[in-house]
Amino acid sequence: MAISRGLARRTVPEAADIISTVEFNHTGELLATGDKGGRVVIFQREPESKNAPHSQGEYDVYSTFQSHEPEFDYLKSLEIEEKINKIKWLPQQNAAHSLLSTNDKTIKLWKITERDKRPEGYNLKDEEGKLKDLSTVTSLQVPVLKPMDLMVEVSPRRVFANGHTYHINSISVNSDCETYMSADDLRINLWHLAITDRSFNIVDIKPANMEDLTEVITASEFHPHHCNLFVYSSSKGSLRLCDMRAAALCDKHSKLFEEPEDPSNRSFFSEIISSVSDVKFSHSGRYMLTRDYLTVKVWDLNMEARPIETYQVHDYLRSKLCSLYENDCIFDKFECAWNGSDSVIMTGAYNNFFRMFDRNTKRDVTLEASRESSKPRAVLKPRRVCVGGKRRRDDISVDSLDFTKKILHTAWHPAENIIAIAATNNLYIFQDKVNSEMH
Amino acid sequence: MLGKGEKRKFDEHEDGLEGKILSPSDGPSKVSYTLQRQTIFNISLMKLYNHRPLTEPSLQKTVLINNMLRRIQEELKQEGSLRPVFASAAAAAAAAATASPPPDSLSDSYREAAPPALSAPAPPPAHACDLGSTTPLDACLTPASLLEDDADDTFCTSPAAPPAAAARLSAPAPPPEKDSFSSALDEIEELCPTSTSPGAAAAAPDSSRGGSGAPGGPKPEDPKLMDSLPGNFEITTSTGFLTDLTLDDILFADIDTSMYDFDPCTSASGPASKMAPVSADDLLKTLAPYSSQPVAPSQPFKMDLTELDHIMEVLVGS
Repeated sequence: MAISRGLARRTVPEAADIISTVEFNHTGELLATGDKGGRVVIFQREPESKNAPHSQGEYDVYSTFQSHEPEFDYLKSLEIEEKINKIKWLPQQNAAHSLLSTNDKTIKLWKITERDKRPEGYNLKDEEGKLKDLSTVTSLQVPVLKPMDLMVEVSPRRVFANGHTYHINSISVNSDCETYMSADDLRINLWHLAITDRSFNIVDIKPANMEDLTEVITASEFHPHHCNLFVYSSSKGSLRLCDMRAAALCDKHSKLFEEPEDPSNRSFFSEIISSVSDVKFSHSGRYMLTRDYLTVKVWDLNMEARPIETYQVHDYLRSKLCSLYENDCIFDKFECAWNGSDSVIMTGAYNNFFRMFDRNTKRDVTLEASRESSKPRAVLKPRRVCVGGKRRRDDISVDSLDFTKKILHTAWHPAENIIAIAATNNLYIFQDKVNSEMH
Repeated sequence: MLGKGEKRKFDEHEDGLEGKILSPSDGPSKVSYTLQRQTIFNISLMKLYNHRPLTEPSLQKTVLINNMLRRIQEELKQEGSLRPVFASAAAAAAAAATASPPPDSLSDSYREAAPPALSAPAPPPAHACDLGSTTPLDACLTPASLLEDDADDTFCTSPAAPPAAAARLSAPAPPPEKDSFSSALDEIEELCPTSTSPGAAAAAPDSSRGGSGAPGGPKPEDPKLMDSLPGNFEITTSTGFLTDLTLDDILFADIDTSMYDFDPCTSASGPASKMAPVSADDLLKTLAPYSSQPVAPSQPFKMDLTELDHIMEVLVGS
């Protein structure tokens, strides 16, 4: 892994700068981040330059805009945070790019267009666009397009409001490219991208009496190829695959993926640590990747009884769950990501560490995203967390992990080995060296 | 290991511990599970009430914390320490905790769901009203750092108080016709008026909550207690976050109250110190055998353990 760049320059992180989501577009040419301040920053990959081959693949700021503003719900006397919970790119249909961004309640569709030419020489308008005095028009001319500095324009196209009573945790664009869904704690809605005033409720797990509520929806995603299939995960560690052909309201799942609890690991915190914080279909559509507090799991769509692979992310925290419960870390929602070929998975951890697991070789590595250790083009060194008394040089002990530095949001380029890591208010982009040791 | 501790064996305690003072050395393994459970219970309650004002708490978190409380209550029920009427209402009460405490913060539907849950235990209307005020909650919920400071103060400056309280608590065997809890309540009520230090105001809500919190208890409001406290006490005591629980009535019929109230810190009248000695980290360091950091056996902790044994004794005395 080489080439890394920290982007935020403030030394003291401000809450609004904390990155809350990271997402590559379908080609990987663009990368969008959202932050707690409601801003969206889009990065574009620079084209390869011949005289500086190393600069290939560097991402530079392309556009920044304010997506959401803080609001106040006067009926409930509650603040609605502007924090961007998720960003999803729409498949590109024309020269423009489009993305969906959402906070807790409202989803917005943004269109990003480029302009590098402007028309000149209108007959009836002057340079400022004002109508000319007709008496001064003595001859006809053909307007021409003149090149100008590149301008990136971002405009709001649609606002999908009032669809959710609870907090939106996921949005997912369907493979039909016409619809998308949004999931909150208890319901999932299906929207048409062009229609903002109505949505269809496709899942509703709200019990008649809220006192019976013991489970919430934590994440949801459409199948990458079958537009009728989607999956949602729950706070009890289960995954439900639903088929929209079966019924309009998918209250009955088609498949339930659930692993029986290991009695030897049973504790007060069993349920909390089994709560699924993220679910992602593999690019092939055959597998699902889930993250819970201590592990990442790979599920085969054809096997519901248990995951086919389970990887420990930071098992050394198992003895610290009580403290992690007390300081609320146990509720952190770590995301997970597949690489382009579905052979490697990645997820975050504490102390600015993130983990990668190679599914074929079963090798895993812990890497650190920090400004000190990641000078541009430096190679990341694997890190180790030691549990027992024996400690090698450069190892870090469990007790000295910094739980305020957590990597919750990560993204993997859809085709290449480029990853984006959000560490609090810094975005790191790491790129695989040619024939790197990882793959 | 967390949660791997054995379940408290009730008969064993009954046979072995009743009427005899434990030495601190033979307690931990049995006590630790109960204590840990109590700690988690306390933390969970704190979490339910300690959210940022004006923001909607995460439903997922609330549900998970609630399930934790439910689970612990289920365990307690199975251990037979809940009276039948409470046992039946216990589960509903845990749900009511979600619905009722942050009234501004949950959705309308959430609130609408609350009343059916509340009807079973029939909470005192005064408490229900108290739920609306968030300021007292904040006043009561001291940040952990403060609590720890308090703990230190208490331990350092008034070392004599806990043993005194302990002796007091351990001395009388519970009368056979009362259960351990109601007898414990009496104890607290006798103890509390004597604490006239600056912490009295803080300690008082605890006792009143204990008193009024047990609907089946013999003395819902002890006149003696009322007299000894500053005027219109009953109205202002909503500051105790536990008072605000509509499920108090159930919860405090159970051992958790005793845990709070017998606490050396509370009886030593440290302000807002009831949570202090059971901070999770302290517990882990003191009790957990797997803890990687050996903790020097300091006097405060020993005292704490002795106290625990007394607590256990009274608890088991029923």
